[in-house]
Parts: sequence; C-alpha cells; structure tokens
Amino acid sequence: MSVIEHTSHDAGHGSGAPPNRRNILMRPGFVRAAWCFALFFLVGLYLVAGIRWLAGWDPVYDWNIIVLVGGLTLAPIGFLLGLGSFDYWLYWISGRPTIPDDHANHGAHTWKDYFKVNTDHKVIGVQYLVTTFIFFTLGGLMAMLFRAELAQPGMQFMDNQTYNGLVSMHAALMIFVFIIPAFAGLANFAVPLMLGAPDMAFPRLNALSFWFLPIAGTMFLCSFLAPGGAFATGWTSYAPLASEQPIGQIFFNMGVQWAGASSILTALNFLVTIITMRAPGMTFWRMPLLVWANFTTSLLVVIATPFIAGSQFFVMFDRIMHTSFFVPADGGYVLGYQHIFWFYSHPAVYIMILPGFGIISEIISVMSRKPIFGYRLMAMSLLGILVLGFSVWAHHMFVAGMADWLRVPMMISTLLIAVPTGVKVFSWLATLWEGRIKLNTPMLFSLGFISMFVIGGLSGIYLASVPITIHASDTYFIVAHIHYVLFGGSVLTVFAGIYYWFPKMTGRMYNERLGKLHFWLTFISFNLTFFPMHWVGLVGMPRRVADYSDRFADLNLFVTISSFALGASVVVFFYNMIVSWARGPIAESNPWRAMTLEWQVSSPPPIFNFDEIPQVVGGPYEYGVPGARHAILTGGGTPAAKEAHA
Amino acid sequence: MAGIGIVIAILVTLVAVLIPWLPTSASEQMDRIEFVYWFATVICIAVFALVMAVLLYSVMAFRSPPEDESDGPPIHGNTGLEIAWTVVPAILVIAIGVLSAFVLSKNGEAGPNPLNVKVFAQQFAWRFVYPDDGGLKSGELVLPLDRTVKFEMESADVIHSFWIPDMGQKQDLVPGITTSIIVTPTRTGMFSLVCTELCGVGHATMRATVRVLSQDDFAAWVKERKSGGGKPNAGAAIFAGAGCGGCHTFTPAGSNGEIGPGLDDIVSVAQKAGRDPAEFVREAIVEPGKVITPGYQDGVMPPNYGETLSPEEIDALVAYVTGAKK
Repeated sequence: MSVIEHTSHDAGHGSGAPPNRRNILMRPGFVRAAWCFALFFLVGLYLVAGIRWLAGWDPVYDWNIIVLVGGLTLAPIGFLLGLGSFDYWLYWISGRPTIPDDHANHGAHTWKDYFKVNTDHKVIGVQYLVTTFIFFTLGGLMAMLFRAELAQPGMQFMDNQTYNGLVSMHAALMIFVFIIPAFAGLANFAVPLMLGAPDMAFPRLNALSFWFLPIAGTMFLCSFLAPGGAFATGWTSYAPLASEQPIGQIFFNMGVQWAGASSILTALNFLVTIITMRAPGMTFWRMPLLVWANFTTSLLVVIATPFIAGSQFFVMFDRIMHTSFFVPADGGYVLGYQHIFWFYSHPAVYIMILPGFGIISEIISVMSRKPIFGYRLMAMSLLGILVLGFSVWAHHMFVAGMADWLRVPMMISTLLIAVPTGVKVFSWLATLWEGRIKLNTPMLFSLGFISMFVIGGLSGIYLASVPITIHASDTYFIVAHIHYVLFGGSVLTVFAGIYYWFPKMTGRMYNERLGKLHFWLTFISFNLTFFPMHWVGLVGMPRRVADYSDRFADLNLFVTISSFALGASVVVFFYNMIVSWARGPIAESNPWRAMTLEWQVSSPPPIFNFDEIPQVVGGPYEYGVPGARHAILTGGGTPAAKEAHA
Repeated sequence: MAGIGIVIAILVTLVAVLIPWLPTSASEQMDRIEFVYWFATVICIAVFALVMAVLLYSVMAFRSPPEDESDGPPIHGNTGLEIAWTVVPAILVIAIGVLSAFVLSKNGEAGPNPLNVKVFAQQFAWRFVYPDDGGLKSGELVLPLDRTVKFEMESADVIHSFWIPDMGQKQDLVPGITTSIIVTPTRTGMFSLVCTELCGVGHATMRATVRVLSQDDFAAWVKERKSGGGKPNAGAAIFAGAGCGGCHTFTPAGSNGEIGPGLDDIVSVAQKAGRDPAEFVREAIVEPGKVITPGYQDGVMPPNYGETLSPEEIDALVAYVTGAKK
C-alpha cells in the first residue's frame, strides 16, 4: 500500500510529539492504550465492588454493573487516553508545555501514521473509510450466515437466539458503524477541500470522533462473547424486551452511545467548519451540493442523535438501576420508547441518505458536463427534507397502538417528503438531459443509485399509506424497502463517492474495467436478492424469523443464493481498491475535469490543502459556460504573487 | 423516449399483474387495502416508467466518448419545470393520502353488532376468549363468516403483533395498554395467525391456527365447546383453551403443532426416563425448563402455566395428556 505523499510543507513537520523521548510504555500508542484499557477496567471493577461492599449489597461483584462501568465506559476512555487522544488537552490543563502548534500529528508519512491519533482531515477520512469497510465486511458475512439458515424452512445451522443475534448485529454494524460514518469519512476528506479550508475547524476533536468509532463497533461485536449471546432484539431494541434480555443487550445500548457521540462531535465540527472556514468568495450559494448535503445532515445529527442516546440510556437504566421508564407495572409507558427512538431513527434515515444525495449531485454534474439543474431548489429541497423529516417519525408506529388520531397527519407529512425527494430525482434527470455523459464507474453507480432509489422511494409511498402499511409492516416488504433505500440508495452512493475521490485520496487511479464489473455484479445480484423480498413479505412472511412456513421456501432459497452472489461482488471492489492503491497508475490532479476546489490541487493534496488561499468567484458547476471560473488559484502562493502573475 | 417509457410501463404492469403480490383476500378490510394498493400501484408505475425512460434515453442519446472534452449546454434550470415537478407529485401523494385516510377510517368501523374476542399474548403463545359466549376460552381462533369481529388485545410481557396475512389487518399488543382491531372474515377455511413483532427466542414459531366457519358451523362449535367444557372431558377443553395444540401434536385433540415435542408418546417417554408419567407431565407444564427434549429449545414454552391455570385445571390437563380417566 502506498502512502499519501505530500508535495510540500513536509519539511519541519517531523513525526510525533517529543519522539522517542519516552519508552514504549509511556509513549502514546497501542501499547499504552492496552495497559490504560486494563487499568481503567480495574478501576471500574473495584469502584463498583467497593461501593457495593461498603453499602452491604449482595452480590459485591455484580457483573451487569461491572461490565457497564468498567468494560463499556471506563476501559474505552482508558484506551483513548493511552492512544493519546487527550494528550494535548491534558498537557494544557496540567500547565505543562504543550507541543507547539507544529502539526506534528498531521499528515501520513508511513502506513503507521494511519494507526495514530492523526489530526489531518484527509488521513481521518481514510481512517473512517477503512474502518467502516471492515465493519461492512463483517456485517455482510453475518447476513450470509443467516441467509444460509433461511435457505430452507426449519432450523439447520443455529438456534433462534443466535439467529436473532446475527440479524441484530448485522443491522447495528451496517447502520451505526458503516453507513453513517462512511459518509462522515467521505465528507471529512472532501468538505474542507471543497470549502478551500486547510483542515476541519477542530482537528483534535475530529481525531477523537474517529477513534470513538472502532470502540463502538468492537463493543457491538464483543457482545458475542457475553453469556447468553449477542444482543438479539433487532437494531430497534424495543422495550420491554430489551430490558429482560441477556447481558449482551447493554453492549448495544452502550455501543450506540459511543457511535452517537462520534456522530454528534463530527457533525458539530462540520457545522463550524462550513460556517466559519469557507474561502473568500465562497458564499453559501456557491457551495458545492456535497457541502450543502453535509451541512443539512449535520443539523439533523446534532438535533436528533441525543434522542437515541436517551432512549438507549432509559432502557438500560430500567435493567441496571431498576428505573421504570418502560415498565408498565410501575407506571412506565412502553410506547414512550418507540416515540423517543423513532424521533431519532427516522431522521437517521436522512442522515444515511442526504450525504449520498450530495455525492450524486457532484458526480452527475461533472460526468454530464452540465451545471446541476436547479441548484438553489436542490439546496432548498435538502432543507425541506430536514424540516419535514422531524414530523414523520410515528409512521414507524402505525400498528404500534399509539393514539389513533396521530396516524393521518403523520401519513400526510410522510407522503409530502416524496415531494422534495422527487425534486432531487427530476433535477438529476434534467442535468443528464443533453449532457455529454461519461459512463465511467462513478457515473454508473450514480445512475444505478437513481433507479434503485426510485424503487425504494415508491415502495415508501406504499408504506406511507396507513391501510397498506397495516398489512405490510414488520414483514419482508419492510426488509426489501429498507435495503432498496440503504443499499440501492446509500451504499451505491458510498461506492460512487469512493471511486470518484479515489484518485484524489490516493494519488492513483483505480482500474476502470474492474470498477464496471463491480457495478454490474452488485447491481444485478442486489436486485435478485432484494426484489423478491417485496413479494414474500406481502404474501405473509414476517421479518426477523429464523423459521418460516413451507410455502415461502422457494423464494427464500432464491434470495439466499442471490445474496451469496451479492457478497461475492464486493470481493471485486476490495481487490480493485487494494491493488490500485498499491500499484495503480499515478492519477492526474483533475482526472474528471471538475470545477470544485478539491480538484484544483495536487493528487493527493498538499498537507495543508492549499498553498495559497483560493479566491472563489463563481458557482461550482459552471460547465459549458464560456470563461466561467469557480475559483482563482494562480499557483503563485500569496495574493500579491497572484497579482504579479496577472 | 416515449417509446422507451411505454415499453417500461408495459413491462412493469405485467410484473404487477402477473405476480400474485397479495394473498387472496379473506376479509372486507383486505379488500379495501387491495383497492388502495392498486391505486398507488398505477401512480407508481407511471412515475417509475417516466424516470427510467428519461434516464435510459439520456444515457443512450447523450453518451459521449471519454476523449470528447466538450461540455453540454449551460442550462441552469427552468422555473416552470421546477414548479411542475413540485406541484404534480404533491397532488398525487395527497390523493393517495386522502384515499388512505378514508379506507383507514372505514377499516376501523366495528358496525352495530360486532363479535367481541379478547386476545391474550405472552411469550410465545396466543389465547382467545369469547366474552359474548360466556367467556369461552380457545387456543385456536375460530371466527364466523361475514360477521365483523372486534378484537381487544393484551400482552402479558413484551410487545407482540397480531396478523392474519390473508385478512390484512395488523395490530401490536402492548403490555400495559389494551389495543383493538376490526376484522370481517369473508372466506371460510384455515388461516394462520403470526406474531410479527420480534418478541424473543420463540418469536419465529409464535403462531396460532385460525378457522373461519359459516355462521351455523360457528354456532355449533360454540355449543360443542361449551358442553365440552363441562365435567366429562375438562382436560380436552383446557388443552384447547390454553393453546397447547398450537405447539404440540396430540392426536386425541386433533392438534398438529410442531414447535414443541409431540405428546402422543409422552407416557412411554416418561417411563423410559424412569419417571411417573403424571408427575413428569405436571412438571413439564409448571416448570417447562426443567427437562428439555433433545432437539427443542428452552425458553419457548411459557413458564407460568402454574399461575394462569388453577390446580384443578392442571390436574385435569395432566389426566387428559397421560390418557388417565378422570
């Protein structure tokens, strides 16, 4: 694997904080992280045991609480401390000389720099993507395991609890530590560059947000080791089932906290970056739509994510502290959980798709060689989705037993969300019209996205209609719908974005033929896997069942075989990425002839992105407009030098 | 482009019509759901055909080779078009919404004289009580044809969900509140009630049999069950009323459930294990987790029959299952 080589500014930015002055045990890194992890766990253990011993509670070693306090709360903090996430702040607080602002933790010079607390947004972007794709692979393998079980009715390979655990883990990994952070990774790389900024507003916070993520994912996975198995209540983790399940459940409750904290901190960072760090001349109406999309997404994250954090804390408190938020016998309200949960988790589906809309807007415009059609309405429709997105959560609860009068208003607002979404689809189509369409891999994935997302959107129309959803909810129709939106939608945009920015990220070109092969294999096997699920659901197969009626056997076998093909198609992607990163042809700085700022610098970009401050003078998509410029970069360095050039 | 659109519309219409997407309706409510479904489908086919036609036509007509470095015409937008594709979809979805609201309200009407049925769910069994028929208890759901049934539903532990796919209607059962749903069966026959809300380890097998009978047959069934609930065969009534047959095969009761072990040879199984059959069966009812038959899982059978059934009822049930005369 080659490493990002920086073209300039490397001199003077040597590696690490006071290098090698301290021995390996005390230096920030994985060795210190390991012993800090253990130490913090023991602190948690004896804190709990000590308090219980003093209070005379039996048993002194209550493992539910020790795992929660020691294992899922303090030990990860110890890990972060050991890794060096807090070094700068601790130096500052304790009055010791901080490492001068020499950006010692900036940029990647060897592959080892990717395993450090790194403050360079470009490195963090790559860290995010590699980490999330590891979780994507694991989540996908689990899907194939339970698809194997579903190949025939009856039980073949696993028991019910294991099956429920695999289904729940698959969803938790894909949602919380793949799709959401994969978009954060792409945006981390692209947004500061597109804004003409040298980095994110809070680089150290950015690094910390990233390192929450492997903690969250590992926490989910560790629940397999817990007695009683992994959490098995679906990713929705409904009360009161979730408070009576084996201890693996709290690994989910707490994993969501770590992933959620990562999301919130990153979103705050994006908001501040977008508001305060735009290059001169970069007004809001000159920002690329990817930036608009991440601006909107970040608002959603900041407003909504605390609600899922709350829902998971409450349901866990019912178990750990014997509160009764959702215990009806003690005055709790079971549906309260669903209201709080979906108040986040519905906006979360927009968190999982709006950044994808941004990616598609970039690619469609560049590859059609035309301005994006209706730029302002495209930006406004994002905001429309943001606002409407908070008024539709109860459509997940049409059969839940909530107040009847809520159903019709929530149905109407849900249906209306189709309007701004439709505006986006029609505007992309109008952008294609009379363009000079380049049918390369990013474009194929973008067009594949549009067609699949339309199917997912139309099945969403059925699900918005209350009478239909009363029949279809909690069946495989829902499974089909969510995969058309999240796989055919979000995942295809992640692939599109990775192919599109691959030359910028690595400085090398991916293999175009393998890219196209990957697209067609994925596109065909995706449809074969998920389209039949609409049918099997509508005729009567519930979701989240390990066993089913014999009459669904043929369709399920077909789906299982297709899902293995879908899994295999990803191998082509990984092969292409790894080989191209190591040995692909060197990429030009602007292989797509795009106007946005990230393509106006070298591939990969210089360590601080721009050797001179770009002056933005026009819109980002002025293709075909004679003489139009998005920004002026003379290559001469200072503004004075620029004038000299002119 | 219009040609492509028409071809796609025809293809999608064939897919929509030729595949039996929905089960054959068995209730008035499902008939109305089907009507909304087809209304939405017509709109969806039109939208899908339009989008795909423009997309495919653009790719075919405007594709340009990689070496072509020219740009397309600098069209930034068209206010008329943008208003059109905001307003027209809004009208279409509101039309779907209004129709849905009417159907929803119609599907919630119990009518003047509904049959009331109470539904009790717990991990992982269904029980039904007919308050209009003297509190008759049943483990299978038996319904009369063409009479509106109002279900009042309660859950003893976690959230479950009530769904008979052919009848369309679905409703969660939520601990702490009573929920209700209306169904008017329109077809006699055997159906399946499934739990559709993940409720724990036995969720996949939490099913019950539904039988729709003509009104005369239903009256006869009620009469038979009421008389059967008297002295001579109390065990059989309890077996049926507690829902045992939903999971266990037992020839005398005519049940063929496969979720739990079969009970036809339970006496010989107990004897082989060196146990008194009556004691063995009693223990299996009151403490189902104590002895688990190989090939079956702990935690699926409700553990609280010792509380929900009276000691006399358990005695009768044990006698019935072991074949002892009482």
